[in-house]
Amino acid sequence: MIALALALLCSLQETSSDADFLRRLTLDLAGTIPTSDKARAFLADPDPAKREKLVDRLLASPDYARRMEQAITVMFLERRNGGKIPDAQWSDYLKKAFTANEPWDKIVRSMIATDGRAEETRPAMKLLADGAGGDPNRMTNDVARLFLGRNLLCAQCHDHPSVKDYKQAEYMGLYAYLSQSKLQDDPKTKKAVLTETAATAKVEFASVFSPGKKHQTGPLLRGGEEIEIPAFEKGKEYEQPPAKGSPGIPKFRPRELLAAALVRHPQFARNSVNRFWFIFMGRGIIHPLDLDHKANPPSDPALLDSLTAGFVESGFDVRALVRRIVTGPQYSRGGKASPIKPLSAEQMAWSTMTATGNLERILRGPIPEGSKFTTKDYLSGKSQTPPSSLPDILKLFVAIFGNAEGEPEVGFQPSMTHALFLMNDRLVLGWLKPAEGNLVDRLSKVSAAAVADELYLGVLTRMPDAAERKEVASYLERNGKKLEAALGELAWALIASTEFRMNH
Amino acid sequence: MSYACGGHDHSLSRRQMLGLLAGATGGLLAPNVARALQSKQRQVLMIWLDGGMSQLESWDPKPGTDHGGPFRAIPTSIPGVHVSELLPHSAKRMHKLAVVRSMQTKDNSHSIGVGRMHRGDPVNRGVDYPYLGSALAKLMDKGESGLPPYVWIKPGSSGFVANHAGFLGGRYGALALGDGRPPTHLQQGVETELEQARQELRRAADARFKAGRGEADVDAWEGCYDSALKLMKRKELFDEGAVSRQDRERYGNHPLGRHLLQARRLLEAGVLYTQVTSYHWDTHADNFAMHQELMPQIDKPFAALIDDLDTRGMLDNVVVILMSEFGRTPKINQRWGRDHWPEAWSMALAGAGIKKGVVVGKTSPDGAFVDESPFDVGHLFHTVFRAVGINPDTTTYKHNGQALAIARDDMGPMQEVLA
Repeated sequence: MIALALALLCSLQETSSDADFLRRLTLDLAGTIPTSDKARAFLADPDPAKREKLVDRLLASPDYARRMEQAITVMFLERRNGGKIPDAQWSDYLKKAFTANEPWDKIVRSMIATDGRAEETRPAMKLLADGAGGDPNRMTNDVARLFLGRNLLCAQCHDHPSVKDYKQAEYMGLYAYLSQSKLQDDPKTKKAVLTETAATAKVEFASVFSPGKKHQTGPLLRGGEEIEIPAFEKGKEYEQPPAKGSPGIPKFRPRELLAAALVRHPQFARNSVNRFWFIFMGRGIIHPLDLDHKANPPSDPALLDSLTAGFVESGFDVRALVRRIVTGPQYSRGGKASPIKPLSAEQMAWSTMTATGNLERILRGPIPEGSKFTTKDYLSGKSQTPPSSLPDILKLFVAIFGNAEGEPEVGFQPSMTHALFLMNDRLVLGWLKPAEGNLVDRLSKVSAAAVADELYLGVLTRMPDAAERKEVASYLERNGKKLEAALGELAWALIASTEFRMNH
Repeated sequence: MSYACGGHDHSLSRRQMLGLLAGATGGLLAPNVARALQSKQRQVLMIWLDGGMSQLESWDPKPGTDHGGPFRAIPTSIPGVHVSELLPHSAKRMHKLAVVRSMQTKDNSHSIGVGRMHRGDPVNRGVDYPYLGSALAKLMDKGESGLPPYVWIKPGSSGFVANHAGFLGGRYGALALGDGRPPTHLQQGVETELEQARQELRRAADARFKAGRGEADVDAWEGCYDSALKLMKRKELFDEGAVSRQDRERYGNHPLGRHLLQARRLLEAGVLYTQVTSYHWDTHADNFAMHQELMPQIDKPFAALIDDLDTRGMLDNVVVILMSEFGRTPKINQRWGRDHWPEAWSMALAGAGIKKGVVVGKTSPDGAFVDESPFDVGHLFHTVFRAVGINPDTTTYKHNGQALAIARDDMGPMQEVLA
């Protein structure tokens, strides 16, 4: 509230309109645009504290957990999927964590530490097992990028050529924590587990530029202390020795140590804050998100420090951090200073269903067990039947609007595929045909004078201006003989517009 | 998911290019090269015979030797040069080609070989290198056609193939035309009055939004619709009904012939890089019967294509590459087949920047090894880059702050084939 007051006071920057703020916040916290009813009610509400109340309401809604789960999944898994943990298990796990507002350090700790044996934390294994495929080098890269904000890829083979403080020794110290890990099938449970073998020696490495000069390191996080690898008598390295093809459990388990040390590392809180900031602002205070180093300083160091200190002090309270970001002055900027970012594949799906007034019907619909829909068949034209259940619809939108596997979704990366989909896809065009209670149905039943308002509120979450009203009226007049089709075309044009495609 | 649209991205890459030129590591394109490209758009056609065409049954016959097989060698339009009798049409166009008989590459498995060849066998720098088509889509000016820069005609399914782009990012991937058909959302598109009407509404909405904010984003998103609409308007490029009966007969009514004909039309329409892939060249058994069946499917349409590009003046702009991931063993196995052989094999080049009527390299009398001028795929990448006007010695990718060579920096071009 203080932040908001400040924002209004020092309004050097234009502040967003109520309508802009409502759309932005609902997309960010609920993962969809609001319905026209919600928009109408919010715009008409005279309460001066309505923005804060909206923040509270959305943070308390179940949609918040779903939206956070989607944002973090896209950021961490980057559409990679090894298939060891089913998507639904992972998203349920994360949704529960966000609903309970579990501390962020605890959530991340389980992602690193779990070996997948305990049912309760097994889904958290997905990041390392499916995202990084259980490969020690890929895991090292992911941990460095996603949790320390340091892309050490180049440092795998030599000190980074242009980033002075990304050293091969840092990479190898982190790698030493993960080098014992591997994905193995447990023949008893027939499930993959991310086990560790017994460590016996330090990791040896040399730069490709001076292959003769060997170095050694044990597990070591930058700035911390190297962990000594304990020496066990032969045969006593295991708490539970491997037997009959079943992987064992060694006494020395560096991944658990990494998980504990990682979340205490100052870089962890700083990187986490920067990544949450990015989710809401479309750009990190440090950008690119994984290039935190001296020559690439934060755009606002004091702000980053203050947010980071607050996050640590709160005990890694994600909801409190999110509240602080979305009630801050930067978030409510308007006009050309608005934070702007593209809708994710998930937000496009939910928002298109909301805008066309089909979401409720789809949510009510059954989720068939073992659906036969595959994006491959549908997109190759082998199957002509569009998806009907929510999970299948999401799959299709992700196939179209999601980036390729392993490509971070940062910034607006539109493609002709997206445009062709919106122009020609049966599912999308079907949503624009009148059906009980959907947008085109509603529009066909209101007076000609009210069409533009309902259309703009429903699709763009704002009232039309005079020129837009005129455009709608004249289009309908010219196409009076095919009213419903014309209404669908008007709605299509707004859904296909940049204003809809972006969160601004 | 697919290739980059115009607008925003394009201007960005221009800016990055300028930024790079100022840097110490070398630019994406030297400015004189960029200017040269603008004056005459170079294009590339890659014909990929997947599985491995036999050099002994094509460009490097060894009749009368232990491993030579049953086919004869015939004279070509270059005096003294012979090729297999399975290439009667290409033999007559030999004076327009550059044939390399001394390819010596490393991997003899398809799974590694194919990717390694398409990516130019980069040194392992911890990233996936792009296929040649994606590399050129990134490095070259895309021309005025507004068509996708990298189109891949292949058997099977259509779609956008992002993983060809490697670290460049999915936008530089291939638009795949399964059996020449466009992706489903393009097939479904119809250029009608309705389409125009709703696009007009959309453009009006974008113009209003652009005035308020998000200028670059509007340009980028608009660019995608423009590309989509341009491609929808050019659906005749995917319509086999639009080709003449003579052409169909000259190229042949089999997939490879039809696809090469379509490739010619795509090149005419201005597509920067077209790849045609044909499978089933992996002749571990019955090598001779298979090549007797397969070779006419490449020989006749390849000759027709060279003629067509030549009569249209396009051989001055288009680089044509005909190759596989490796050749086949001279030794004939017990099933009358030939196995994988990366040690000594042949490929053909033609067109822009390529010498006409040369045969480069020499294999041993039994065809087993390279005697003269061994070349790896790294040399080939240097050669193709040079042929389209890119200097690989001064051009680098920039990835994660690291300058990455666009071709093996321990190799150079095959000077003997460069014009």
